[in-house]
Amino acid sequence: MAEPAIDIQQVQKSFDGHVAVKNLSLQVPRGIVYGLLGPNGAGKTTTIRMILDIIEPDAGTISIFGHSSIRGRDGNRIGYLPEERGLYKKMQVRRVLKFLAELKGVRMRDADKRIEMWLRRLSLSGNGKDWGSARVEELSRGMQQKVQFIGALLHEPELIILDEPFSGLDPMNAQALKDTIVDLRQEGRTVIFSTHLMENAERLCDALCIIAAGEKVLDGSVASIKAEHGGQHVALGLGQDRTPAVNDIFADRSLVKALDDSNRTVELELAPGASPQLLLRRLIDAGAGIERFELVQPSLHRIFLDTVGATGVEPGMSGHG
Amino acid sequence: MGKLFAIIKREYLERVRSKWYIFSTALGPLFFGVIVIVPMVISSRTRPSPDLSHVIILDATGTQLGMRVAGDLAGGISANEPSRAVVRAVKPSELAQAESTATHEVMRGENPFMGYLVLDSATLDGQSERYAGRNGSALVDVKEIEDAVQRSLLSQRLEQEGLQASRIKALTQVNLNMKSERLTERGREAGGLASALFSYMLAFVLYMMLVIYGQQILRGVMEEKTSRVAEVVISSVSTDSLLAGKVIGVGAASLTQMVLWGLSSVLVYKIRGVILASFGVANVQIPLPHIGVLVALLLLIFFVVGFVFYAALFAAMGSTVTNEQDVQQASMPVMLLLIASIVFVQPILLDPTSTLSKVMSWLPFSAPILMPLRMTMIQISGWEIAGTLAGMLIGCAFATLLAARIYRVGMLMYGKRPTFREMSRWVRRAT
Repeated sequence: MAEPAIDIQQVQKSFDGHVAVKNLSLQVPRGIVYGLLGPNGAGKTTTIRMILDIIEPDAGTISIFGHSSIRGRDGNRIGYLPEERGLYKKMQVRRVLKFLAELKGVRMRDADKRIEMWLRRLSLSGNGKDWGSARVEELSRGMQQKVQFIGALLHEPELIILDEPFSGLDPMNAQALKDTIVDLRQEGRTVIFSTHLMENAERLCDALCIIAAGEKVLDGSVASIKAEHGGQHVALGLGQDRTPAVNDIFADRSLVKALDDSNRTVELELAPGASPQLLLRRLIDAGAGIERFELVQPSLHRIFLDTVGATGVEPGMSGHG
Repeated sequence: MGKLFAIIKREYLERVRSKWYIFSTALGPLFFGVIVIVPMVISSRTRPSPDLSHVIILDATGTQLGMRVAGDLAGGISANEPSRAVVRAVKPSELAQAESTATHEVMRGENPFMGYLVLDSATLDGQSERYAGRNGSALVDVKEIEDAVQRSLLSQRLEQEGLQASRIKALTQVNLNMKSERLTERGREAGGLASALFSYMLAFVLYMMLVIYGQQILRGVMEEKTSRVAEVVISSVSTDSLLAGKVIGVGAASLTQMVLWGLSSVLVYKIRGVILASFGVANVQIPLPHIGVLVALLLLIFFVVGFVFYAALFAAMGSTVTNEQDVQQASMPVMLLLIASIVFVQPILLDPTSTLSKVMSWLPFSAPILMPLRMTMIQISGWEIAGTLAGMLIGCAFATLLAARIYRVGMLMYGKRPTFREMSRWVRRAT
């Protein structure tokens, strides 16, 4: 079997006494979309930087495609989009892209062709407009992000690492990005992205890892994680104003173990031994206006809150995931 | 290697393409032309007013002095024009009245006089004369009138002693110009002042280049850091390559600019005759010190080593800042080294052989500016140059090592600016 795209073993990293990543081990198989989830300050960016060899771990090993160092040839197999995006503001878009391609060892002739292809594909050129010859600072934030995304893909990497790729994107551009990620996966590439937006992770990821406070909370395929954190989950739609009696039911720990209350929709996990029928009956008795009552798999969001909530987010932590 | 080249190429091309670069490169020779040619044009233009002789001369001496001055003013300024001076012989007792009339004529007349000149007994005694006129504060005019009176008085006295008028003119017409030369071990060289000026300009240009391009590197590094471009680049190349590429690329751009300035200055110098002629000024010999191939090569080496020294330090400082406000503070330590060098330019110009001059031109941080200055002023022994260069290379190696270690950590550090203590910890920790 082929080596995994990434194999992290017992990695540790601390900055000035503060432990950013604690004893982290995880494997990313080839050809999947992998999510690195966690609250802000969990150690996501530090982990990504260590994978990219931008910083070195204090202990543990990281291998990429079976090699322990990504410098040289293996570095060219990775494309990277950092969390806080930025490009040389005064440079022309095409020149920036060419420079980034050159850094990855792409031949000039190929670079030109690919740049044109990607500019068209992400609608930065064509239809009478050409943002390729504009300077970076003349582009909107969303367009700049697209340019940087192109920069991460020009050398046709096998492994693409995107740090918080959806932050700051409008729905249109976010959709374009999702489409591209799906395309890349279908081409057999491995995509890793970090996010704290569970919805994107749920829709895109084949597998994921949740880390909090520098430690792995759980990992595995999305299906197995959901099965593992099964329990009995109910998605509830409440149409009208809630009566105090309804809130009393939600507060009853013999019936409801955990609750994610989003006002009109409520996701709850039943306490062990409690049945959905009992819950439904009591809600009707309490006069709740039920619009939806569905037994569901727990959402990643719910699992995230449960697991990370248990571990806790270290207070006062800031900076990068 | 290809990646390092990509970084060098980007740094070089982006700088060379910038408006500022094109502008300053083009303006260089213009600036040079201006500072060389304008003084020549001005000095040739600094002549007395053409209608200087259009004055009233109130002659209360009872001699022919007034007439003489009138004649002198005509021939002394523009030989072709006759004097327009009006001489009025007045009695000393009527002088006050005559002066008030003359004042009126100068101020209100139809075709007003420039002014009036009073010659009296004090003038005859060789003590004083008085002039009042609209050009009364024009130094050149006043000097010219003063000279005319002096010459006239002198010739009048000589004539009284029995000399012929024509002989007097021939004997008193002297126009001396001082020409100075410098004597060195290499022999006779062009004027001391011109040579000093050249050396001063060289030191100043070197200083400016180090400051301007050093600051550009600092800002470039800060931009890469704050825009997070650095992260993308560092995921492809090592920080050392990024730092080296930056220093080499920007250094090459600055060297290109200096070479272009040098070449265009030589061109301006060669065709100065044509330029001066277009201003109606006769060509003048500008004595320049002789710069041999060896000295030129040494100047280049000193600049390159000095540039690497300062550029690396500026880059390291740039990696410690994330906002514009901190730039000044961060660049201060490096700027202080540069300022400490430039303040010694004047003492060295005055005495390039003093102990102070020697020591300052040996120190690795000031040598890049001060050794070229001394080298173009006096002859410096081979061992002294070699020793200085060796010291500079050691200093340069130390500075780049230091810079690379600060840069490596600084580029990925965000938040507050590190203290010197923290930076020294980065330097010690890096292996």
